[in-house]
Amino acid sequence: MLALGVGRLKSTILVVLPYRRRNETECRSHEVGHCQTASSHPIENRIGGQYSRFCFGLLCCHTPQCGVSNWDTVFPRKNWMHIPDGYLSVTVSAATGALAIGAVGLSLRQIQDRLADRVVPLTGMMSAMIFAGQMVNFPLPGVPVSGHLIGGVLAAAVLGPWAGCLAITSVLLVQWALFCDGGMLALGANVLNMAVCGAWGGFAVYTAMRRVVGTGLKGTVASAVVASWLSVMAAACLFCVEFGMSWSRADLSLGNIFALIVSYHAVIGLGEALITGAVISFVWSHRPDLLQGGDGAKTHVASEVGRFVTAGLATSIAIAAFLAPFASEHPDGLEAVAEQTGISQLATTPSALLLEDYEIPAISQMGWQRLSVSLAGIGGTAAVVLLAGSLGAVLRRPAISAADDD
Amino acid sequence: MISYLDRYARGATVCHRWPASLKLLLAFAVTLTSVLLPHQAWPAQGVLACFVFAGHSLAGIPFDYLLRRLLAFAPLVMMMSLALPLSQGFAAGWEVMLSILCRSGVAFLAGLWLINVMPFDQLLFTLHRFGMPKLLVAMLAFMYRYVFVLWDEYDRMQTARSARDFGGGSAALRWRIRSQLIGMLLIRAMSRAERVHGAMCARGWDGTVRVFEIPPESVTRNGNHRTI
Repeated sequence: MLALGVGRLKSTILVVLPYRRRNETECRSHEVGHCQTASSHPIENRIGGQYSRFCFGLLCCHTPQCGVSNWDTVFPRKNWMHIPDGYLSVTVSAATGALAIGAVGLSLRQIQDRLADRVVPLTGMMSAMIFAGQMVNFPLPGVPVSGHLIGGVLAAAVLGPWAGCLAITSVLLVQWALFCDGGMLALGANVLNMAVCGAWGGFAVYTAMRRVVGTGLKGTVASAVVASWLSVMAAACLFCVEFGMSWSRADLSLGNIFALIVSYHAVIGLGEALITGAVISFVWSHRPDLLQGGDGAKTHVASEVGRFVTAGLATSIAIAAFLAPFASEHPDGLEAVAEQTGISQLATTPSALLLEDYEIPAISQMGWQRLSVSLAGIGGTAAVVLLAGSLGAVLRRPAISAADDD
Repeated sequence: MISYLDRYARGATVCHRWPASLKLLLAFAVTLTSVLLPHQAWPAQGVLACFVFAGHSLAGIPFDYLLRRLLAFAPLVMMMSLALPLSQGFAAGWEVMLSILCRSGVAFLAGLWLINVMPFDQLLFTLHRFGMPKLLVAMLAFMYRYVFVLWDEYDRMQTARSARDFGGGSAALRWRIRSQLIGMLLIRAMSRAERVHGAMCARGWDGTVRVFEIPPESVTRNGNHRTI
């Protein structure tokens, strides 16, 4: 083993060098002249061109077993990462795994009745498409990282929540099985955060808002934008809750980290929202039937009750997720709030107690934490508005339902 | 893309010949043990790491591949785990950081070993045997088959795009073009799904998933076998 290591030491040291440069070259690789000077075959061009052109090709091209063609496996073209093993405790992993299995099982059962023989091709193709679509780089000006599609809301908008959830679950499973992206034990948490929360919650927000704003182009795009932003935020907040439950200790205040994660994902969610909105508007102009029902409609929740339950639950999950990280700044923050609200009915100064719990950490900590608290406030408000909207829409629905459900 | 997915998974070493369920359970056991161990038990974590490392060398996975994967993995984990003591003003959080680093490192190596000794079809077969629903297995098999097709589709579109726009334009334009690329990929994928569904129906597909009950480990390396 040691001999193996020493034998490869030279190549190992050399391949470390281009690591920092890779992201910089990646953005340039499609600029003027690249195609002409790099190797002529397009696939060869993609694999080898961008490295061999920027002079470290000589260093890293000719390692015998790991040719340059291995680079995209070594550094998958994604800058985010799913939760790896070791972040969550076994208890939390088991709980999220059980929840995820339940949700995926429910989706499977729902879809089996509705789509019958079309499930496999439609859902399989959609997950393959999301997988490929996640490889598209969205360059960020001035920063060496790039943005990517996540795709929960996109899948749900085309296929409905059940098939959308299954599609994203498949994507996560394949990413684990091929790239080792995300952990084995944490797979349940990943599925819960991205597939269930992304597709179910995203779809709930999407349909609820479409019913309020309208089902035209503008309404659809706006709903997709809001839904995808909220789904990213809710996934981040779910992660915070899971992480907090794994590592809750007396000497550790996780509020700062949660604020950091949530603010970071607010930006990521913005990118996701922009991408999803643009993709949806493009699909609308070319194949509106994909978004307006057709196959998709058959996978949607059929009954009024089901519709209401999904929308209500998902939105309330979103709201809870927004508030939970900030309430759990103290190890037992949620309990404290519950106690205080319980006490507040008897105590003399109820509102003071409640405000105290939220204001002290916000004031005593750094500025960006206050920013993210307000950000979460905005998100929470939006979610509340959406919930109100969905309620209104559900109340209005019986009149329309006969017309647009076949 | 085929050349750089599960590159070492179709080897013929001892590890590759082990029964698939044993490999899966072994990787699972190592991961679970590593996550259950506290950071104080770092000798045990070290033993686990050596164990996994021995597995890697038994499977003939090159050392520099491991090193590069770890190099890609480490900054992301470091970023998250370093943020812990950083947010406490370096007064606390060190042990949590250490446990996260130990656990995720060992678990990552174990996962890497698993994906490099177990081809995807074998994994699917094993998962099916462990009780994963047939429908999900069929979906995953279908997805794995068409990932490559759609990847090539995307690659052609990408080449055509870069031949036309040379990557120029404002940031907004580039974002729009790339979104349209994804949109076109979506449209083509859905049209393809409809065509494939038609072809499947023509061949007698009725929605019942039938799994071929021959364990894929009986097929030798580089065999173009499909189990499902």
